[in-house]
Amino acid sequence: MFNELGYQLRVVWACAKKDFQAALTDRLFTVLSLFVPVNLLILMSLFVLAGSNAPTAVVMEDQGPYAQAFYQAMSQAHSFRLQITSAAEAEHLITAGQTVAVVTIPADFDAKVQRNQPVQVGVKINNLNTDFTNDIRRAIPLSITSFYAKAFPNLVSVSVQEHDLYVHDTDYVPYLGVSILVIALMMGGLLQAGTASAKEWENQTIKELLLSPASRWAITVGKMLGSFIVSLGSTIIVLLVLIVFVGVVPENWGEVLGFTLLSLVIFNTVGTLLGTVIKTRQPVIALSMGISLPLFFLSGAFGPISFSTPVLQTIAKIFPVYYQIVVLQHAFHGFALNTYGLWGNTLILVGYALVLIVLMAAALQRTTVSH
Amino acid sequence: MTNSNVASIEMVHLVKRFGNFTAVDDLSLTVEPGEIFGLLGPNGSGKTTTVNMISGLSAPTSGQVRVMGHDLRTQTRQVRQILGSVPQETALYEELSAWTNLDFHADIFGIPSREKKARIENMLNLVGLTDRKDSPVGTFSGGMKRRLALARALLHDPQLVYLDEPTLGVDVQSRRAIWDYILALRQQGKTVLITTNYLEEAQELCSRIAIIDHGRLVALDTPEELKQQFGGSVVEIETVEPFGMLAELRALPGIKDIQLENRFLKVTTESGTNVVPQVINLAAQCCEIRDINIREPNLDEVFLHLTGTALRD
Repeated sequence: MFNELGYQLRVVWACAKKDFQAALTDRLFTVLSLFVPVNLLILMSLFVLAGSNAPTAVVMEDQGPYAQAFYQAMSQAHSFRLQITSAAEAEHLITAGQTVAVVTIPADFDAKVQRNQPVQVGVKINNLNTDFTNDIRRAIPLSITSFYAKAFPNLVSVSVQEHDLYVHDTDYVPYLGVSILVIALMMGGLLQAGTASAKEWENQTIKELLLSPASRWAITVGKMLGSFIVSLGSTIIVLLVLIVFVGVVPENWGEVLGFTLLSLVIFNTVGTLLGTVIKTRQPVIALSMGISLPLFFLSGAFGPISFSTPVLQTIAKIFPVYYQIVVLQHAFHGFALNTYGLWGNTLILVGYALVLIVLMAAALQRTTVSH
Repeated sequence: MTNSNVASIEMVHLVKRFGNFTAVDDLSLTVEPGEIFGLLGPNGSGKTTTVNMISGLSAPTSGQVRVMGHDLRTQTRQVRQILGSVPQETALYEELSAWTNLDFHADIFGIPSREKKARIENMLNLVGLTDRKDSPVGTFSGGMKRRLALARALLHDPQLVYLDEPTLGVDVQSRRAIWDYILALRQQGKTVLITTNYLEEAQELCSRIAIIDHGRLVALDTPEELKQQFGGSVVEIETVEPFGMLAELRALPGIKDIQLENRFLKVTTESGTNVVPQVINLAAQCCEIRDINIREPNLDEVFLHLTGTALRD
């Protein structure tokens, strides 16, 4: 029995080593698959940055204390990127499309506020983009409210009593960065494992494996281990970028390590399964990309999916990506994004891994060479 | 456990269907230990499907296959341990070196680690690739890849070696070398199963040949017997003017087949007859003879006769 076990372990290691050696010879593909996830991280960060605060020119025709206080209220609205300019310069900026809005604080602002008379703050909007336009439309009234709450606290009787669930706020990029880590694991795993498996069929080298006395289980595990080792490379790169450059430091390093490895197992199994069933590399690559992006958006990449509609939540929960984002957000930020608890989510992911491994072995078991 | 009295391969009423298409149709034949057995047939005749069933890559729809006494349905693993295979496409990892390919094969076939290095060296030496052992296989010629695939198939010392089109696309020199390796296998007591489209190859190597067409066995015998079954002699005559005594020629006893194309006459005689001199006399009476050739029938003619098609159609 030990001889048999030793032989099957030798097969596992031989398959893994062979796939790793083969990946090293295909340098261009390996480098590309290592950097595709990093590229995605940069792309999504740019996407987030592009959609952040609206550039807004402020014309201060009044320099009085109330006008200054109003400007402060605007600057704290989390919606504007303010720039104080002259009227002429502001006009130039909005005409040139370099600013979304021009807010003009009139010369009699302080005087009218003091006398409790109506005062009109001029707002000129470049409304070619609804997203930015609505940001401005929401943020100006918010600034007015904030201004009054601070300048005349006795006039505003309603105030906010905020209780935060977490000790600190989490910015958009740190949240998104963790989701991107999941998508990086997915792309890396699917691409590496999928192409490594499909290549065996394309080049007919699968015959060498299937004609050997080795068990299909050992071959399956060996192939998964090979692509697992290669996709670890892209995972380490994304983790380094995330931690060192984006500054997202995990709250629990052990969880990061454990859930990252578990995710890699799942995605490498899916990749191996795809490669075994489809048998050609090009559709596997297309499908890997095609699956990854929609699942990324569906599974709560930009914010908890529990904030979304019930239908979307139900669909998201079919796929392991949702649970991977949940556990990794917990590992990095300490969030509990659903009510299943850390162990519940972990068990679900382990279940996915086991079912996929069984499916993978069954696919290889049932596979016969054509003719 | 195997013994020399047990057939190397035994196929009994073997059938393989893909949907409505029957690729192998009630095929029964036996390959004896120590023989080089040729499986011939046109493309799509069912050769590869048959071999896939022998190696356990494909399950028969019905019928039985036994390899060295092992039932493939229940003892696939034992069969794989005694089978060495050289697929048509060689199935080598082209990005890896010759040594790494053999090393991988040794691992998945469970060759003891202490023997591995020596066996790989022996095999590379046997096929003359020792000096290229560290080169990626992708840089090898077709003949070198075939030789390496053969070395790989023999590495675990199989009792039955299967070669699918062993010299397809290789140069004449490599073909001769591969033939020599195959003939040496018989001397070592191994059974060799070959599928080939080259009748010359089958004639050179095989002790027996099975011809299959549309998945059915149409002939099974030694190359010599097959040729004898086809006819005694073939007389090819080129005349200066067109041959005009066809009726007289047909009337001669012992004539099996006549083909006349302008000034080229080809006559096949029945075996056991001695009608060749009469054929030549008749041609000489009719016309001036420019060229004459008397020979045995070849396997191409046997094949054409049996299947109605040339082998590589």
